[in-house]
Amino acid sequence: MAVNFDPAIINKVFEITEPVQVSAERIRKFCEVTSETNPLFTDEEAAKNGPYGGIVAPPAFAVTFRNGRHFFTHVPRYGHGGFDAGKDVEFVSPIRPGDEITLSSHVKEIYEKTGRSGTMVFVVVRSTLKNQRNETVAHLDHRFMSRT
Amino acid sequence: MSTVIDLHCHSEASEDSRAPVEAYLNWIQLRHAERPVNGIVLTEHRQFNRAADYRTLEDKFGVMVLRASEVETNYGHMLVYGVNEDMLVRFDFANIRLDAQTLINEIDRMGGVVVPCHPGRPNIGLCEHYESKPPLENVIAVEMLNGGSRKGEDERSEELIKRHGYAATGGSDSHLVSLIGLCATRFVADIKTIDDLVRELRDGQYEPADFRPRRHPVHRAVAVEAK
Amino acid sequence: MKKFEDLHIGDTLGPLQLSVSRDQTRAYARAFLLDAPRFTDDEGARKEGLPGMILPGNLSLSLLTKLVTDWIGESGAKLMRLGTTYRQPVQPDETLTLQGFVTNANAADRSAEIDVWIETAEADRLVIGTATVQFPAAK
Repeated sequence: MAVNFDPAIINKVFEITEPVQVSAERIRKFCEVTSETNPLFTDEEAAKNGPYGGIVAPPAFAVTFRNGRHFFTHVPRYGHGGFDAGKDVEFVSPIRPGDEITLSSHVKEIYEKTGRSGTMVFVVVRSTLKNQRNETVAHLDHRFMSRT
Repeated sequence: MSTVIDLHCHSEASEDSRAPVEAYLNWIQLRHAERPVNGIVLTEHRQFNRAADYRTLEDKFGVMVLRASEVETNYGHMLVYGVNEDMLVRFDFANIRLDAQTLINEIDRMGGVVVPCHPGRPNIGLCEHYESKPPLENVIAVEMLNGGSRKGEDERSEELIKRHGYAATGGSDSHLVSLIGLCATRFVADIKTIDDLVRELRDGQYEPADFRPRRHPVHRAVAVEAK
Repeated sequence: MKKFEDLHIGDTLGPLQLSVSRDQTRAYARAFLLDAPRFTDDEGARKEGLPGMILPGNLSLSLLTKLVTDWIGESGAKLMRLGTTYRQPVQPDETLTLQGFVTNANAADRSAEIDVWIETAEADRLVIGTATVQFPAAK
């Protein structure tokens, strides 16, 4: 039996999150916990002379923004547990201190396959991240895997 | 005269691969000294890429590109070579619950050949299924060397092959450009078409070829601490 | 300084060997609201069928991103895209090797495609991925 889901949920935006403030401290914390030392992301003076004219967040900062608490109200769950199976991130514009970031998300695809873990269902959620100027900063495809 | 073919790899057409075919062929040219592969077979997951035409790339790089499929059955994953329209009508390759014995018998009847892949892999390899189910009939060859194998998996495959008297193949199972050709199959005969390949898999002489580099021990790394 | 004109298919990134400590794993998880037991506690992780505490996938992605941005250096190139597949859990205190290869260099748009991955000491590839880097116009 193929995986069951309502086809109407595909490509339908289910959430636009409240803006999340990006502080210099949050970027600094990200650099600390990822051992990032690149001066473009950590040194205000050096970053002023760099391509962005000031400190920007490392690209992987884009994946730290989360969907809302009611995520699984809109995104089907299957089987037991759930794991992050991978991400595809398109980095469009840098994220800067002072930005306010929203996520607009929809279910892009649902499929099943078998692997070392057994039978798995993958739900792919695509999110577009925008700043307070409504400029796209990133596109993110997030693959959730559940074992059935 | 012999042909060395990577019998198992995935292009961007497979949802979990990130490898354009042209980049694969470029890499084969680059690494030919250590991976002397003459051709590759694209075994896309749960589909057969009907529309793809790689003749221009074959001419440009001098590497043969054939098409096949990797499907999912009640005995694990299997590679289907010699896919034709009749097979695509008979079987839904997207179905992850195909009946393996029916697949093997019918594909053979329709002019193709089925090769169970990565048999040593948990859940989706023959070894584990043979522990609780009767062995499949009419299996000619099984993939012994898989470039994605973890420790012990190829060894389990080899033991299964010896026990059942199967012929053995090799393939990279590559999902990244730089992993193409790590494992392959060396055929005695000259192979130029998918029909040649099916004929040789059924009746020819071949053996797996391992081009994986020998690993050097990695010493324990220094912890990367948060500042 | 790295230039597009100096790139060759087959150029390597890394290999970089490192080990991420339990403390760093917890620090990342707590800082970015990923405080599920699997990322902070061995016992909690085992209850989910895991071998022990694991790194959040986002942290592995961050490590691979850093491999690429360190390689980019001061060239002015930009990381345009990174895609990852998490094949096996990455555990703290394990010796990991991060590396990559340039697999294509497109002169038309001055972009490079790169394979990247994280592997164990036994050469098991835990995380695989690809990156696209755009180099600036020639001066």
